This record gives sequence, structure tokens and C-alpha cells, in this order.
Amino acid sequence: MADAFRVGDRVRTSQIDPAHHTRLPDYARGAIGTVIESQGSYPRPDDLARRLPAEPEPVYAVRFRAAELFGDGEHTITVDLWQSYLRRAQEEAG
Amino acid sequence: MVRINDVGGMQGFPPVQQELDEPAFHADWEAHVFAINRALRDRGIYNVHEFRDAIERIPPQDYLASSYYERWLHAITTLLVEKGVLTAAEVSGGEAEVADG
Amino acid sequence: MSADHSGAQATVAARVRHLEGLLEQRGLIDPAELDRALAAFLAKASPANGARLVARAWLDDGFRARLLADANAALPDLGLSMGGGPQEQRLKVVENTEDYHNVIVCTLCSCYPIALLGPSPTWYKSEAYRSRVVRDPRAVLAEFGYQLDPSVHINVWDASAESRYMVLPRRPAGTDELDETSLAALVTRNGLIGVAPV
Repeated sequence: MADAFRVGDRVRTSQIDPAHHTRLPDYARGAIGTVIESQGSYPRPDDLARRLPAEPEPVYAVRFRAAELFGDGEHTITVDLWQSYLRRAQEEAG
Repeated sequence: MVRINDVGGMQGFPPVQQELDEPAFHADWEAHVFAINRALRDRGIYNVHEFRDAIERIPPQDYLASSYYERWLHAITTLLVEKGVLTAAEVSGGEAEVADG
Repeated sequence: MSADHSGAQATVAARVRHLEGLLEQRGLIDPAELDRALAAFLAKASPANGARLVARAWLDDGFRARLLADANAALPDLGLSMGGGPQEQRLKVVENTEDYHNVIVCTLCSCYPIALLGPSPTWYKSEAYRSRVVRDPRAVLAEFGYQLDPSVHINVWDASAESRYMVLPRRPAGTDELDETSLAALVTRNGLIGVAPV
């Protein structure tokens, strides 16, 4: 599977809260961050935990500003996320 | 369904408590749980993702009240029963022994 | 954390012995094999490994660059690896600078570069750490006695996938005369996680 995203891309994490095992932490759901690294491809834990067939999928380090996630804080948080947890961000102008 | 392990940003937990020079295992049974898990994974009884999933499915109140390796033990026995390797009766047979002894 | 009453501990210990008995009967575990696996794990995995990487990086700019660019490829220089499982884990080493500080967590469970840091401390796996360090890392560092200058930016790495993270702390001042072994002795596990300066 090819990389959908490149370093520097703005991405939005899924808002979906699935019933199964997943590795998108709730605090980072529905948030916009920046891809800072492509980490290679791995099968998704969401599938492996249920013994479903799983093709390797690109994983990215995505950096979020604390203020965007929590409403305050000067720091950043970088989370490693599978490609299917992400969409290209369509940010509002202005 | 957000699971109890997903605590990033959750409010209400206390200051971090550091135990200086703590040992890898605080009791022999913890080391045994570690080793049993390693052996079962190596044999393909379950994979690490199924293991994490089983920890996450521990009822929240039990999860929070359990120590780290107690959670591992819970997950290991859950998976062994779910996969038909052991029966629930066999697993809890140990508790009956303790009650009698 | 469960209450540490000897009665409760004895119960858990008995449950584990019982489980082991069942698994042995089924031929799924071999007690001698368990002991060997445990000994191997404890012997090889230690924060001394991470400390050696740091000391080498402090002394050798070329090694430092390679460690930051592709840590897995640099580890064999010191006879180290992230292997031991079916697939070698990806290691990412992140560098502290005058303006930038890194701290590592696994909010979802307890992922951690055991090969380089040894078994993880209980606090790293606690809800207290996992919940609070992403929200207020500066306060958590202060609980470790580390007052980071307000001008220094903090990035928290949440090891939620297949990469494992280790911090490359800043070399302390006044250490120009020290050799690699002495430099490595300065590096603590807490420094490699990012809750101490070194």
C-alpha cells in the first residue's frame, strides 16, 4: 500500500470510536495534526486483535499542539497512527 | 467504545509515585506471569494484539483496582478460556484450592 | 494498584501456580524453559545499554547523526539490537537540545524499549503518568524534581504503534575530560525516558 501522506501534510484523525481494539487514543480523535515522519508499514492491530486478514498499512508520527487537543498548554504531543485513522485535513480559511 | 486503558488526558489521577531502585518483579508470581505470557505468545496461542485487547476488556473497576501483572494474569486466563485451551472451571479450580487450604 | 496485603498476594501466587500446573499438563509450558527465558530477559535488557548509546553519541558526531537518522542501523556498532522477538522493533532516538525537550509515554498500555532500558518502572505504566504527562508534562517533570526552563519546548511522544522511543539527553556541562565509560555512568533510566535532565 502506498503512502497517502508525506511529511508536512496536515491530517485529521478519525472521529469514530470503534467497539474493537484500536490504537488511536481518544484524546487525539477528531483532531488536526502535522505528519512529521513516515515510519514504515505494519498490519493494523485493529485487525490482528480479531485475527482478521491484515495487509501492512503505512504508519505516521503525527504532531498535535496541546492547545488544539486540550484547550491549553504550550507543548506538542506526537502520536504514531495508522493511515486508516487519518484523512487529509480540509482546514477552514481565516 | 472508549476503553478504560485509554487514559491519556483523563482527569483525576494522583501525582506520579516513583519507587526508587525498584526490582523488575515485586514477587515471584509476577515473573512467572511474565514468562508464561512470553511462552504462550511464542507458541502462537495468542498474539500481542489479542493480549492487549484482553487487558482492555477487563471491567473498568477491576482494571483500576489491579496491579500491572494482575492485569496480565486476567488477560492470559481470559484468552486461554476464550480459545478453548482451558475451561473456566479449570482456571477457577485454583481459587477453590486456596479457599480450602 | 491492588492492596499489598499478604493474603491477597498469596491468593494471586496460588492462582499463578495453579495456572502453571494446568499449562504444564497440557504441554504448553516447560518450567525450565520459563526460567531460562526470564534469566535471559533480565540479563540482557538494561538501561546500561541506552546509556552506552548516549555516551557514544556525545563523543562521536557521526554516530550521533546516524543514531538520530536510523537508530536500528546504528545499534550494532555497540553490539546492541532491538531484536529478541519475531520482528525487530523500530527504535527512534529523539534528541534534547537547549530549546527542545522530549518525554516518552505509552498512554494506551506500556510500550517501552525494554532492550535498551530494561524492564519498565511501575510509574511509567501507571494511570497517573499515562493520563497526566500528555496533558501537563511540565507538572509531571516537576514531580520528578525536574524544573525545566519555561522557554524550553516540550514534545511528548506517545508510542501508540510499532516504534519505541528513547531520549538522547543533553551532555552535562563540565564533562569534557570524561571517557565514554564515565559518561555512560551519568545517564539514568529517567533521563532516557525524559523525566530527568540526564
